[in-house]
Amino acid sequence: MLRYLPLILKNCWRNRRRTTLTIISIGVSMCLLGVMMAMYHAFYLSDPTPEQALRLVTRNRVSLTFPLPQFYQQRIRQIPGVREVMISQWYGGTYKDSRDPKNFFARFAVEPDKIFTIFGEFRLPEEQKRAFQRERTACLIGRDLADKFNFQLGDRITLVGDIFPGQVELTVRAIFDSPRVSEVLYFNRDYLEESLPEARRGNAGTFNILVDSPESAPRVANAVDEMFHNATAQTRTESEQAFTLSFVSFLGNVKLFLISICAAVLFTILLVSANTMAMSVRERVREVGVLKTLGFTPGAILGMILGEACAISLVGGGIGFLLSMILSGGVRRSPAGAFLPPIRPFEPSVAAACVMTAIAIGAVSSLVPAWGASRTPIIEALRSTD
Amino acid sequence: MSEAIIETRSLSKEFIRDEFHVVALKDVDISVRQGEFVALMGPSGSGKSTLLHLIAAMDRPTGGEIRVLEHDLHEMNDREIAHWRNAHIGFIFQQFNLIPVLTALENVELPLKLTHLKKQERLEHAATALKLVGLGDRLGHYPRQLSGGQEQRVAIARAIVTDPALILADEPTGNLDAASAQEVLTILSKLNKEHGKTIVMVTHDPHAARFATKVRHLEKGELLPEGAVPAD
Repeated sequence: MLRYLPLILKNCWRNRRRTTLTIISIGVSMCLLGVMMAMYHAFYLSDPTPEQALRLVTRNRVSLTFPLPQFYQQRIRQIPGVREVMISQWYGGTYKDSRDPKNFFARFAVEPDKIFTIFGEFRLPEEQKRAFQRERTACLIGRDLADKFNFQLGDRITLVGDIFPGQVELTVRAIFDSPRVSEVLYFNRDYLEESLPEARRGNAGTFNILVDSPESAPRVANAVDEMFHNATAQTRTESEQAFTLSFVSFLGNVKLFLISICAAVLFTILLVSANTMAMSVRERVREVGVLKTLGFTPGAILGMILGEACAISLVGGGIGFLLSMILSGGVRRSPAGAFLPPIRPFEPSVAAACVMTAIAIGAVSSLVPAWGASRTPIIEALRSTD
Repeated sequence: MSEAIIETRSLSKEFIRDEFHVVALKDVDISVRQGEFVALMGPSGSGKSTLLHLIAAMDRPTGGEIRVLEHDLHEMNDREIAHWRNAHIGFIFQQFNLIPVLTALENVELPLKLTHLKKQERLEHAATALKLVGLGDRLGHYPRQLSGGQEQRVAIARAIVTDPALILADEPTGNLDAASAQEVLTILSKLNKEHGKTIVMVTHDPHAARFATKVRHLEKGELLPEGAVPAD
């Protein structure tokens, strides 16, 4: 079949406008498909990182919006296999003009003496760590957030509370690098507690638990939930990955949503490609008769037409996948990206799925016209008037 | 005289078209010997193209027997026939039927893609065939850049590039002006006389038929006896 490649490629380019438009159609559709597949992979198929595999998150069983008593921390700490437990409180609040979505980023009140144990993958100089732990109004921010707002060490950040009363005045004392999206700000929970009225103190939004090994994680999760089974505030403990995914579930049945969009996109590409190939083959029935007269077998003709469709689909699919890498990166860097499982712009399995999908689209869309052309009797084909 | 390389016995072709029973060819017995240049003449619908298609195994007869180049065509399957046609038959169409996206050289190379020749050898053979028909300086030209006569000469080069024993031409001068037709017929005559190719040519042009060594007439699907011509 390789010796027919020049003819296949020349036939692809026979009607340049149509081929270009088809490639663009497939490219745009495959771009959307690529983003959807990258998201699906990130949400439901990706393995946790080694650091993630050691972390659990405990929240109120009823809802994330209900707090847990602070004293749970000490009891969780006593469970065998637990290395560290940190209180984490979603602060919310607004930075500058809340109407501008660009000003949105994640803000948590945490325990500075424990955060670097829990998130061992954070990379920053020791003196910055100590500065964050030492100063009550200090804050720790991610590199992505620093780059986005051009924050420097020593800069002041004021957050006006919405969930909590008042405002917090913070100073950037540490900037960390992380393999994950880091549009996030952490500050001292003690500072938040002091600003609260007595009645609202002593609560925790979630507990971040570090276990001694990935194998311990399911057992510890069960033990925590069992421990507070009869308490007023029951808990729900899950892996960090599952916890992150719970934000996605706020949107509804995301899995079904993604699969539905992928199916609709696939169906649309199939129709576009099938229409193009049907037109292309119909215009060349006489040439098929000529090729057969020269000795080309029906199988060779079938292969050439399928190859032509696959080549067009592959080019469109390749362009679409490159675009999807850019878009996936955009989703990852968006404000909402901090609440989603990390979407990798280039995921080998997604790339392979895109290539296979492109080939399948080419083959399926051209199978019927290619089969028909290859089986057309020579005399009938030669009588064709285009 | 050499042995017969085309031999038919009671060859018939019938079909149904728009509910009408059509007899395209009826009990044709013809024998063509190696080295002959046979012109098949007759009015439109007389069955001459049908006979040519049956000889090339491009169509299947509905009755009778046909043996070409020592092969019983009815005993071969489609795949075998395709290979046989590639190796032994050169076919020239009235409408040239070149592939528009390929250059003259690539068009002529096309039948060789089905052989075991390497690319360089294929290109050398194709260039030689084009030189033989006087188009050695048009190798890189696309069909749209050639005149009708030149296109037909490319088609002839494509028909002879595999060095077939039998060349079949279906009204090869039907779409050409007089000068181009003369060139094409001269080439066919040269292929017959100097290279020993057996040629069967369908034509209704008496001038073209004069280049043949033998002329046979068909009328209403029947082959007239040698030397006989239609009454009108």
